[in-house]
Amino acid sequence: MKPDTQSAANYDAVDRILDAEDQIVPSSGFLASVMERVREEAIAPQPIPFPWKLAIPGMVLAAGTIGWLIYDLIRMAVAGDLQAAFEAPHLHAAQLNLLTPVTWIALALVLSLASWVFSRRLIRRSSLL
Amino acid sequence: MPELLTAVRKSPPVPAELDAADVARVLAGDVSAFEGIVKRWQGPLVNMAWRYCRDRGCADEMAQEAFLRAWRGLASWRSGSNFSTWLFSIAANVYRSELKRFPAAVPLDDVPEPSAAAAQLSNFELHGQNEALRRAVLTLPHNYREPVILYYFHEMDVSRAAQTMGMPEGTVKARLARARDLLRKRFPHLNPQAAAEPLLSTGKELLR
Repeated sequence: MKPDTQSAANYDAVDRILDAEDQIVPSSGFLASVMERVREEAIAPQPIPFPWKLAIPGMVLAAGTIGWLIYDLIRMAVAGDLQAAFEAPHLHAAQLNLLTPVTWIALALVLSLASWVFSRRLIRRSSLL
Repeated sequence: MPELLTAVRKSPPVPAELDAADVARVLAGDVSAFEGIVKRWQGPLVNMAWRYCRDRGCADEMAQEAFLRAWRGLASWRSGSNFSTWLFSIAANVYRSELKRFPAAVPLDDVPEPSAAAAQLSNFELHGQNEALRRAVLTLPHNYREPVILYYFHEMDVSRAAQTMGMPEGTVKARLARARDLLRKRFPHLNPQAAAEPLLSTGKELLR
């Protein structure tokens, strides 16, 4: 083969040796092995697509909350109330009563239940259950 | 050298219509049509892989992975474009990743150098010397290794090597020239002109 980047005079021993590489023959089971893996992939179930329809409202809500928080912080910084905003809130005695450990535990249980129900609904929609 | 090696140098050109027809059948749901593609291209892809790793088992595995990637991405091939270019690009990406995972075991400086000029060597020694040079390609830095592999795989066609790598031809030519310089310096006996010049620096130093 004639090189296209150099003159024939520069076609030296390095070129000659590397250009004259012998060919290897694929192993006898190569074709069958490739086709077996291809068939496996062909019959494998499609990966579950990300549930964008369900996720987008949550993402919008989260982005809105963060945006609102940033806006509020900037507004308070401009008004000079930032330090007051980060100070410990003064809660009334009635509010403090609500925040007993039992309340927190109950809240955690409700959230866990909601998360479990939500995940089961997602799986049902993907027809896997 | 394994007995599987043959003296056959070039494979006959593959009609583009065959590939296009098989791709259309696969995309229509006929999985077995992919067999035609594998049959036609297994030789080139295994040989290309062999040049990347010079290990029989590794070449088979890498070529198999390349075919699987091609299978997964078959819908992305545009029927107007060259199927072989598309397939070789996928294969090169697979092989490149594998090379990065398994860096060259022997640095270029440690590759055994032949003790006598080529003219004085017996056939057996000559064969060993040629093989030493081919293995030395694998010890080149990544940037230089692949252009050399693909340039000689594509029968010294810079344009096709550049297409396979998705790189400008000028970059490939520059890297190729540098890589060949490194190899000539390392094997001065192969090139009497280079042998006359003192070996001033090692391959790594030349890159600085």
